[in-house]
Amino acid sequence: MLCLFACAIQELVDISLGPLSNCSAGPKGDNVYEWVATILGPAGSPYAGGIFFLDIVFPHDYPFKPPKVSFCTRIYHCNINSSGQICLDVLKDQWSPALTVSKVLLSISSLLTACNPGDPLVGSIAQQYLEAREEHDKTAAEWTRRYAQA
Amino acid sequence: MSDSEEYASGSLMEDEEEEEQESASDQEKDFGLDNSVTVSKKPAYRILKGETLEERRKQALEEVTGVLGITEEDAARLLRRFKWDVTRVHEEWFSNYDAVRASVGLQDEAPVPSTSQATCMICFESYPTDQMYSASCRHLFCHDCWQGYTSTAIADGPACLDLRCPDPKCTACVPTSIIKRTAPPEALAKYQSFCVRSFVEDNRSLVWCVGRGCECAVECCVDRTADEALDVICSSCGATFCFNCKEEAHRPVSCEWVRKWAIKNSAESENVHWIIANTKPCPRCSRPIEKNQGCMHMTCSQCRFEFCWLCQGDWKEHGDRTGGFFNCNRYDAAKRKGDYDEETRKRDNAKQSLERYMHYFERWDAHQKARNKAKADQARISADWLERLSEQTKTPSSQLKFIMDAWSQIIECRRVLSWTYTYGYYALEDMDHKASSTKEGNSSAEENQRFFFEFLQADAERSLERLHEAAEVQLKKVMENNSTAQGNGAPLDLDSFMAFRTHLIGLTDVTRGYFEKLVRQLEKGFEDLERDFGGGSAEEAALIETTL
Repeated sequence: MLCLFACAIQELVDISLGPLSNCSAGPKGDNVYEWVATILGPAGSPYAGGIFFLDIVFPHDYPFKPPKVSFCTRIYHCNINSSGQICLDVLKDQWSPALTVSKVLLSISSLLTACNPGDPLVGSIAQQYLEAREEHDKTAAEWTRRYAQA
Repeated sequence: MSDSEEYASGSLMEDEEEEEQESASDQEKDFGLDNSVTVSKKPAYRILKGETLEERRKQALEEVTGVLGITEEDAARLLRRFKWDVTRVHEEWFSNYDAVRASVGLQDEAPVPSTSQATCMICFESYPTDQMYSASCRHLFCHDCWQGYTSTAIADGPACLDLRCPDPKCTACVPTSIIKRTAPPEALAKYQSFCVRSFVEDNRSLVWCVGRGCECAVECCVDRTADEALDVICSSCGATFCFNCKEEAHRPVSCEWVRKWAIKNSAESENVHWIIANTKPCPRCSRPIEKNQGCMHMTCSQCRFEFCWLCQGDWKEHGDRTGGFFNCNRYDAAKRKGDYDEETRKRDNAKQSLERYMHYFERWDAHQKARNKAKADQARISADWLERLSEQTKTPSSQLKFIMDAWSQIIECRRVLSWTYTYGYYALEDMDHKASSTKEGNSSAEENQRFFFEFLQADAERSLERLHEAAEVQLKKVMENNSTAQGNGAPLDLDSFMAFRTHLIGLTDVTRGYFEKLVRQLEKGFEDLERDFGGGSAEEAALIETTL
């Protein structure tokens, strides 16, 4: 608990000062276990121009167990499903207690730049990405416009 | 006599084998039966007890530490990586030194940092370096964070044995000393049990015995292909299971068929279970009857009608004593073969496939239940009767082992027999289907195959029913006669007891022979069945005639 609090404070500082121009994160309210984060769609990807909101829930044994991160904004991506769950190694077996929220957000941001169709969560999107890249990018941009722009 | 003692004295002979040979020579001495054919072939598996396992584990570790000159801890990492195959560890170590070391996280010691304060990269607090620990990579973390890290990893399971440095990019293994220093006592105990269990669980030729509370492991001593079934009987707890799939022992059926059968049973269970829920009506008076004795010969307590539990037919048509023929193991597809128009046939097919399944399932289930009943009976007899019988007949209870042997044989045979119905269900699937969907029926070769299969099954089944009846009903009779004789002060009827003994031992042997033959032949498949069948069965038949 104390450790989590210390980590959280440190991470807040980390995020506000760090060179994370396209990510931000902070507690939702008084509850230090629940955070909300935003990622700006990386330039050069079909998600450019979108603002994606994510929920972060810290387990009680954080940082020894990974935080639960999920997209609130809908996104057309082969590693993210319709309920916002993310298939990312650092959120699962590759988690390390020395990782921080900012590093996780950075990983997610790079997942938006380069998806991983070899280990998909949504098979159909991965297949489309591999076989009809243009069509895939068009749909992804369309979804970004529809769901991720105010 | 325990395994470890045997190993200490350098003998590799297995418990069971030794006993078997002993008992065989006992029988020869005592009963003059020709039992000279002792099993001398290598056993397919060996039961290893706790102490032996620990010894074997240490032996493997010593071999590796001795040859490679590394610590026991590192040796254990290598052995786990290569499934406790000592030779492979040696080979890989000398041919791929760097890659092997990297794969288990062994690194050269990094230089010790000169600073006196450092920041823990998990909690971002600053600590004096002498209060922080690190693996060989010198990534320092504080005590509390290490504690959180190690205890979480241990709680997650045996993967904690391969724990790496918390730094996300570092692959250095976490030395056991850190785990011992930081993990809470209960987690540490768990960690140590993982270390021991790894020897069996990561080892290709070892599995744990599935018996509840049994701490033995089973070592496979023969070459097995990847998915080959191997029946194991644990000599310590008596559990029977398949080495490959850990299900109930199931020879002659393959593991795949067992899996399919289990799925089928759970899927069809709603249809079938209510139909064959534990009672059956008496075929004559229709009073519900619960089967509470092991063998299939039933007598209605109300109308005294004797019938077969499996087919509910008159018992007079069963068993050769009454001149009938034991044939309720047959699935008669032919009787459903008739002149059907297309519509009726389609409608009937669905019904028939359920009926066909029910036929085999019912018999499979009946033998499984009979087996459980026999297990309970064996336990009861060994607890209550043996001592009394030993007093009555003035024989030491070690001489009464033949009764327990007979029961063990019954239990095993019930199991085999039940699986032969699963075998029949799958092996004869195409044939039955064809017989019911076309008017022509099967070719004569196919009919022969079915005939041979069912003949062997009937043979084995008949022999088993006879043994079961002798072990159950006749034993009871012998007991009763003796106790009345004792009550009257009359001399004991030892002759009849000796006759019973010879009879039961003979039956046990013959039944064992039948079942070994059955299993061997079914495993070989139908092609060889016909050929082998011709030679062997005449001998067997002669044998059964002479022993009875």
